[in-house]
Amino acid sequence: MNWYVFLEGLISVLLIAGGAFAFIGSLGMAHLRDFYMRLHGPTKATTLGIGCMLSASMIYFGVTKGEPVMQEMLITLFLFITAPVSAHLLAKTGLHLKLKYADKTRGCPDEIHTEDVGEKPVLHPDKGH
Amino acid sequence: MTLLWIPLLTLLGVLAPMCLERYGRNLCSLGTATPPAIALLLALNQVPALMAGEVPRIAISWIPQLGLDLAFRLDGLSLLFLTLILGIGLLIILYARYYLAPEEPFGRFNAYLMLFMLSMVGIVMADNLLLLWVFWEMTSLSSFLLIGFWSSQSDARKGARMALTVTGAGGLALLAGFLLIGDMVGSFNVGVVLDSADVILADPRYPIMLVLVLIGAFAKSAQFPFQFWLPHAMAAPTPVSAYLHSATMVKAGIFLLARLHPAIGDSAMWGWLVTLTGMTTFLYGGWFALLKTDLKGILAFSTVSHLGLITALLGIGSPMAILAALFHILNHATFKAALFMCSGIIDHEAGTRELAKLGGLRRAMPITALLMSLAAAAMAGVPLLNGFLSKEMFFKETLDAGLLGGLGWLLPLLATLGGVLSVAYSLRLVHSVFFKPAKTAPPKHPHEPPRLMRVPVEFLVMICVAVGLFPAVLATGLLNLATEAVLGRHLEFHLAIWHGVNAPLIMSLVALGCGVALYGVHPSIRRFVRQFATTDARMIFENSIQRLVARSQSLTERLENGSLQRYMSLLLGAALLLATLGLLELPQLAGGMPEGELDGVLILGAALLIFGALGTVVTHRYRLVSLLMLSVVGLVVSLTFARFSAPDLALTQLSVEVVTMILLMLALFFLPQKTPRESSAHRTIRDIALASALGMVVASLNYAVLTREIDSISRFFIDNSVPGGGGHNVVNVILVDFRGFDTLGEITVLAIAGLAIFKLLNRLRLFMPHSDAEGRVWSPDRYPMILTSVSQWLLPLALLVSVFIFLRGHNQPGGGFIAGLVTAVALILIYMARGVEWTQSRLDFPYQLVAIGGVAVATLTGLGSWLFGRPFLTSAFGHFKLPLIGEFELATAMLFDLGVYLAVVGATLMILANLGKVTTPHRPTKDAQPATSKEKS
Repeated sequence: MNWYVFLEGLISVLLIAGGAFAFIGSLGMAHLRDFYMRLHGPTKATTLGIGCMLSASMIYFGVTKGEPVMQEMLITLFLFITAPVSAHLLAKTGLHLKLKYADKTRGCPDEIHTEDVGEKPVLHPDKGH
Repeated sequence: MTLLWIPLLTLLGVLAPMCLERYGRNLCSLGTATPPAIALLLALNQVPALMAGEVPRIAISWIPQLGLDLAFRLDGLSLLFLTLILGIGLLIILYARYYLAPEEPFGRFNAYLMLFMLSMVGIVMADNLLLLWVFWEMTSLSSFLLIGFWSSQSDARKGARMALTVTGAGGLALLAGFLLIGDMVGSFNVGVVLDSADVILADPRYPIMLVLVLIGAFAKSAQFPFQFWLPHAMAAPTPVSAYLHSATMVKAGIFLLARLHPAIGDSAMWGWLVTLTGMTTFLYGGWFALLKTDLKGILAFSTVSHLGLITALLGIGSPMAILAALFHILNHATFKAALFMCSGIIDHEAGTRELAKLGGLRRAMPITALLMSLAAAAMAGVPLLNGFLSKEMFFKETLDAGLLGGLGWLLPLLATLGGVLSVAYSLRLVHSVFFKPAKTAPPKHPHEPPRLMRVPVEFLVMICVAVGLFPAVLATGLLNLATEAVLGRHLEFHLAIWHGVNAPLIMSLVALGCGVALYGVHPSIRRFVRQFATTDARMIFENSIQRLVARSQSLTERLENGSLQRYMSLLLGAALLLATLGLLELPQLAGGMPEGELDGVLILGAALLIFGALGTVVTHRYRLVSLLMLSVVGLVVSLTFARFSAPDLALTQLSVEVVTMILLMLALFFLPQKTPRESSAHRTIRDIALASALGMVVASLNYAVLTREIDSISRFFIDNSVPGGGGHNVVNVILVDFRGFDTLGEITVLAIAGLAIFKLLNRLRLFMPHSDAEGRVWSPDRYPMILTSVSQWLLPLALLVSVFIFLRGHNQPGGGFIAGLVTAVALILIYMARGVEWTQSRLDFPYQLVAIGGVAVATLTGLGSWLFGRPFLTSAFGHFKLPLIGEFELATAMLFDLGVYLAVVGATLMILANLGKVTTPHRPTKDAQPATSKEKS
């Protein structure tokens, strides 16, 4: 009995934490000032939030059905593989496009390799015709 | 079986010259001539059976649903024509050996000739009207090839086109006539049709049918008013003219009239139409033959004239008239083929066919002069030659014909007039070539042709003379059989030269006398005629054809102006119209079923869909944003499928969405970075109106459908999926089993589309922008390291997933199609992360083979059921037990699904990988040498 109460508590905490993380991530995406800051929200907070929810679901169904649940494991796995990749690509694109950043954004330009940054704008070929 | 060999041997003759061409002309000619020679012997071998009154037949069922059988018969009429077709054909092959210039493609010519011979043999032997029609159209096609043989000459091309158009169009009329006959009689079998004369004659559709059949026959036999194509077909090489336009093709129409005469010939309408057309053609051809100055032109018009004579005889239709017609078919073929070959010899040796440039050739080529004079005399109807006999019979029949009643004297008068004309033009032909002194020297120095080139002419002229002298001995047998075949009974007749002094003889003598006189005054006639404006049939024909082409073109351009927006609006407008009409017929929109419940998720989904669709439209000039909006729509659609219990569809939609997006991105790379503003205000209004109207109509339609009980076949599929297809996943069982044939068609189309795109992209050089719209050059870092390493890792996982989806497809959501797409997406990811070169060097096989192999696997699976005596694509399944694994199920549908899987993978990658390959080579790279970056990773 106590065991179940403990599990229920755990599931609830995970769900609430997940919801909170997802909300904070979304809020960040909507509210933060420049691209680089906004990138943190969906990539980190939201991923963590979804991870929490998936764990909650895994425990819940694992306990009620009495057998281990694989699907949530797989979803978590794939999510954790793909989220960093897309975040990395987005960040690289942002640097390449030389998006403006707010003063508060930290980071030393030295970290950025030259090849990651777009070159001096040239006349676009489309303008010819 | 012997009967089948006659057409089969001629068919073999089509291949022989192509194979033997390289071994020289003699062997090629010999090889070409052997099969028809054997066929001729086989045909003659049937004579004893025919004499005994049998009609050998053979019938093999071909397409019984259409009433089309591969049926052949050999009666007297067929035999008469077979002798002509094969016999003269052999002579022509010999003649052509010397006629064609050394540089001309001899094998091809012979092959065309044999193809034509095959079609003629088919016409005269067919025992099924539809089969006859097939061969009939084959003669049109093969004669097109033959007339246009010298395709570098504009004349030849135009003449060939005209002949094809006229005879082909006539053929269509004939088909309509045949279908009517088949409908009246209930069978296309020639024997049955010939026995059902009373049914056909009593049918109210008889006049329509008769006119249609006659149009076909007259177009083929160059009868008035279709006579104009024949003179223009003289642009053909002379052997072709000698064969097609004297002995065979133009006789096909006559043959048809004779063949069908017992069935449809016994009416006044037939008599009027056929006799008068024949008479008109007889005089028309004769008159123009007198006026022409080209040797082959004269012969062409004289052919028209003689065909008219035969047609008139068939129209009169009395037993003796039929006999005379058949006899004249034989005689005309011999002397006209000889004349054509002589004109070819003159053309060949003197270099011209213009009468004005020829003359006095009797000294240079005395033997040819003698042969041609004899043949022309036969044509004119000079006594002791074969033409005289049949022409006299013709005169006699015109006297006896009761067609015109009180004006009955008109027919013999017209016949005599025609006889006068034919004497005059025959005389002119011979006199101005051989006897009249030449005004100018011909372009070449004339001399006798090679010995063997003259042999066919000698042979034919010999027949003319021999038949003319001993008609009773030589022609009676064949004519007996032929008339018996046409009349259906034995006809007592006696062919003789001398019948005593009677009206026909007097008519002949009048024709001879007046003909000579007419030739005497013909220069003044020609001067008189020159005052009239001449109309060239070819100009009229070409004009009308070009007008037709121009009109069709302008119509096509009006409908199809290359604007995609226009096509879409037409298509959607049509759909809108049809759906609206359907909706208007409903009594009320809502049906009896209660509405489903709405919940928050549904409303959110619908809102997202609407947002995505509107966003796509609003942002359409910012293409990347627009594309993202579109993908929102696609994702929500796949979620909708998942929600309404269609997991297969959801999975498919999801993977198709991914593939489509990648494809669109790749394609957009090549298009201008900025989308110009294209729509005018009017068009915007139109498009908005169309789109919203269509949306409303489709929404109402959906609502109407969803609120009604629908009795569809889905119940059947659900009930039969396990017992019939052995699978619990109904969607998959439908795809691979119930509607397997559809799926086979679809993957074939997919593979073909992939191949076409592959072919189109091959060596395609596209405009490649080096920077984006704001002028930033593309990032040199082509293969970001995180993506590279993760994708490599993801590949085995994705492949595992696709195998999983594939294997469970028969019983749970999944299947070959989805698995194929998943595999394709995983591979595409590798391509994107690693680049084409790296991937291609590891996936070292062409995707074309994968796609084609997939279609092949699916087809072979389908064919496999034939081994067990089941229809195509029957599937089998069973439950098997293995130790350790336990019971499991295997179905042949799985193999079919494997084919689907391979085809999808192959086609998708063929499209995406090749399109991607086009983009990569010219892009900047991070490293000077790409090879080092490979090793690093």
